Order: sequence, then structure tokens, then C-alpha cells
Amino acid sequence: MTSKPITSPVPVEWYPSLSVLMLSIGLVLTASFFIYEATSSKPSRSLSKEITIGVVASFFLGFGSLCLLLATGVYV
Amino acid sequence: MEEGPLRRALILVLVVFSLLSAMGSSSSSSPSPQDVRVLSAERRIDLTSFIVRVFLTLKVENTGASDVSEILIAFSPNEVQHLSIVKASAVAGKRKKKAYLSLDVNPVELAKGPNGAQLFSIALLSPLKSSETTVVEVLYVLTHSQEPFPAEISQSESQYVYYRDSALLLSPYHIGEQRTFIKTPNTKVESYTSVNPSSRVGTEIKYGPYHDRAPYSYSPIVVHFENNHPFAVVEELMREVEISHWGNVQITEHYKLVHAGARHKGVFSRVEYQARPSISGPSSFKHLLARLPPRVHSVYYRDEIGNISSSHLRSDSLKSELELEPRYPLFGGWKATFVIGYGLPLQDFLFESSDGQHYLNLTFGCPLLETVVDRLTIKVVLPEGSKDPSVSVPFPVKQHYETTYSYLDVVGRKTLVLIKENVAPEHNVPFEVYYKFNSFFMLAEPLMLQAWRKICVFGEVFAFNFTKSQEQKKRDKTARNSHCSSDASFDFPELQSNRLGCLAEEANEKEIKKLHLDGVRDSSWRRGERS
Repeated sequence: MTSKPITSPVPVEWYPSLSVLMLSIGLVLTASFFIYEATSSKPSRSLSKEITIGVVASFFLGFGSLCLLLATGVYV
Repeated sequence: MEEGPLRRALILVLVVFSLLSAMGSSSSSSPSPQDVRVLSAERRIDLTSFIVRVFLTLKVENTGASDVSEILIAFSPNEVQHLSIVKASAVAGKRKKKAYLSLDVNPVELAKGPNGAQLFSIALLSPLKSSETTVVEVLYVLTHSQEPFPAEISQSESQYVYYRDSALLLSPYHIGEQRTFIKTPNTKVESYTSVNPSSRVGTEIKYGPYHDRAPYSYSPIVVHFENNHPFAVVEELMREVEISHWGNVQITEHYKLVHAGARHKGVFSRVEYQARPSISGPSSFKHLLARLPPRVHSVYYRDEIGNISSSHLRSDSLKSELELEPRYPLFGGWKATFVIGYGLPLQDFLFESSDGQHYLNLTFGCPLLETVVDRLTIKVVLPEGSKDPSVSVPFPVKQHYETTYSYLDVVGRKTLVLIKENVAPEHNVPFEVYYKFNSFFMLAEPLMLQAWRKICVFGEVFAFNFTKSQEQKKRDKTARNSHCSSDASFDFPELQSNRLGCLAEEANEKEIKKLHLDGVRDSSWRRGERS
């Protein structure tokens, strides 16, 4: 019976670096989201731009926190 | 006469009944014991460890007319209670090119020998033709068969045990010639039952040869000898295997270890134990060796109190050896409870079979060397979202399913629980667990984390947009206080400029007032200065 071993989708050695990278990008985007909120006035704000930055930031933060959990040994 | 037909009917019924019973007995699958004859039997009993291993070589001849497809071996009721595993193999080839092919051994449920002897049937690879011979090798393992006598010893005494067996091999067949060799761990044998001809040379006791014994002949013997081998018995072992498709198999093992030899009586003197280690506590043990797979990481060894630091891990490319030292040496009757955990890389154990199923290839049994487990429970926790789990184990186990809740779980993980009693090191063979898993479900975890973050984002968006900020509130307040605010100005832009002008005027007024107040203050200060 031919059987091939199953490995993780991403090499395990990359988890710590990936987590740092993704979390930093996510935090930068979150910061830009807050800056946008703080510096723009009510009429000039566009909901679509807010949501885009928010979604992209949460995407990176989500993957980054998952990689952080995996890098520390909590294999979820 | 009326009796005539009745009598004829009765005779007919009797004849039919006897024919049926004759047919029934002749069509039974197991051959009658008289068909097979054991030409020679050699039994080697290994008593060097506390686990008794018996190697049996049978040369069997088919003396009947029909083909024989199975060979029966018998065990006494006492042996059956302590029997851990029976393995049989057929020898193919001669001398240097011997190949051992394993045969299936199954207990025979229906038939039993005299005095409650239990029969096991070995299925031959090809049926044995009439007047042909074949050689079958059987290995069986008995646990808890060495009874410590005296039952209680002090710290410096050696441990002596009884081993009870029979000089004659218990068999449902007629045995032509048989020999039994018993190997003891050292030459200190207190006594052994002598059944002519029997002799003892060094560490080996020889019983035999005995010629032409009837089936089920039994001659009990007792050997009383010294055995200081560590009697490490794990009363209960719970192994939990958690599979994560992100790259790790985490195994946690909970042990309840006991020294099953002669019980320790009296005082334990640590001074005596450490001052003269060679003669103090000869039957005690303080090291345990566990054999783990290679590439193991994050090994921990702890108990209820906390971490136990007296351990060593040595690994090479083929295996890892974990040497454990419990907090105290174990004397007879003493117990130790601890937990071992380690992680293994996923690609060594999880494979994808050709029909798309995932299967986990694990070693059954206890990683501790030379230990007996009274009750072993293995829990395999499959990843969330797995379907259709099934298991293939080479020996009978009890199994059922459970649900375990672990990290980031919504519906719970399906868990397969296998329970086996009386496990010997011969049970350390690989077994497989099959299940179906859609890799897409792995994304569920990061998506859950992202969903939490998106909720935060949307909360912030909501907070910023749909509630009034501080600035807005202040502007509203000033607008309420001034007299020239009117909602109509928002609908009519031309009125906007009016409102702005009005506000500007108001602001100007406020400025003038402020300047005036400042001027007053100023002048009063000047007045103050002058005066």
C-alpha cells in the first residue's frame, strides 16, 4: 500500500519567524487603522476604506496569533 | 398388531437420530486428537526476568487419513489466567536459510480439555497431509507467574520466588519424546522438584527426556530460586495521543508503578542503602528505561508534586532512550505515580493511504522496557472534524469512542479509546488508526482567531462612526447655547452662510468680551503696580 507521510502545510521551523512577521504587519495595519480614525473628520471618512484596512489587519493578526500559538508548542 | 408399527416407528427414529449424530460428529472441523501425534517436543522456559517466556518447538505428524489444518495446544487454568500473549510461527527452509512465518493463534471457545484446560488452535499455512510432519514453534508469555517466597523480606535480603509448572507438556496429543529446559537467572536454586530423569547444570534445569506420554498428562513441579530482577509492574497506564495536523503528535502517559516482588518489611535505612549499595536492596530498583521514537522533543517527567529532574534523555538516529529515576528507590510493595509527556513530528507517524484516508501508525504498549502493564488504556484524540474512525490492532482489545475538548474546539474531537489487560513487552507492535479528514477544516482555527479580531475591528468602526465623538459633542453643546442655531440651515445651504455669519458675530462678541475682561484685569494690574 503506497502511503506518503503527511507533513504540516508550513515547515515547522518557520513558525516563530512567521509569527513575528505576521504579527508585526498586523499591528502596523491596526495602527494605521487607528490613525485613520483619529485624524479624519466625520464627513471625510469612507466606510469601505475603514473596513478594508480592518479586515486586512485582522487577517494578519489572526494568522500571526495562530503561528504564535504553534511556535510556543500549543499545537491547536 | 398395533404395537408393531409403533415399535417400527421408534426404531426408525432411533436409527435416524444415531445417523444424524454420527454425521454431525464426522463433519466437525476440528480433528479428533488421535489424528495428530507429536513426535518430539522441546520446551525452553526462560525465568531470567520476572516475565516468564516459554519457547515450545513441536514436531507434529498427521497419523490420520484426512488433512489437518490446525494444531491444538493446551494450557492449564492457572496458566490461562496469567497468559499474556501466544505467538506461533512455522519454520521454512533449513539451517542457514530458516524463515519464520507467523501463524494465527486463536482460543478455542467451545471445546475444553479435562480439568478445565483451555485449548488454543494454531492455523497452519497449508493443510498437513496424511503421514506428513511439520515443525511449529510457539512462544507464550506468562506474567505474575513467579510467586515471591518468602512473601516479605527485609532491606538486605535477596528475593526468592516459586515457579510452578509441569514436567510433562500438557497437550491434547500423544507425545513421543519431550524435554523441558528451565533457565534460572543465576545458580542460586533453593530447590526443585525432581521427576526422573531430571538434572541441574549451572543455570539450567533439565527435565527429560520422557517417552510416550498419554494426552493431557501432567506432572506438577515447583522451582524455588533467587530472582533479583526488578519486578516493575505498571498497575495502570493511560496513554493519550493527540494529533495536530499543524505538525505535532503529543503523547502524554500517566503511570502507576508498583514493585510486585516480595514485600518490604521493617525499616528502610537510607544510610545502609547508600553506604553498601551492592548488598543493600538487591531486589529493589531505582532506574527505569523508556524507549521512545527518535526525533522526540519537549520531553517532560513530573508527578503530583512537580517536575522530577532525575532523568536523562539520550537520542540517536534510531531511537531515544529516556532513563527515569523516581524520587525514591522502589522496594517490594512500594508505589510511584508519575506523568511523562513528549512530542513527535507528524510526518513520522501520520500517513495518507491510497484510498484517501489518513492513518496514524503508532506502537501499542508501554515504552518502559521489561515491564508488565496490568491495565493499559490508549486514547487517540483525532483532529476536529474527522470522520469514520477505525482501528486495526493485531490482537484483541476493547474499544469505544468518546469526545474530548481541547484547544480552540467548538464541536469537540472524536477520541478512540482502546483498553487491554495484561500487556507484556511482546505487545509493542505497531497498530493503525484510520480516519477521514478534510484539510480545509484546519483553516477553521485561524479563521476563528481572525473572526474574533474582525469583531473587534467592527466594534471600533461602529464606535467611531455611529456614536458622537467628543468634538462633535462639544460643537453640539455650543450650538445649543447660541441663539443662531437652526436646523433649517442644513436643508437650505444659502442659510448656512447666515448661520456662519451669526456664529462669527457671536464668536467676535465673545472675543471682545474676553479682551475687555483682560483689559480690566490689565488695568487693575497696572493700577496695582502704580500704587
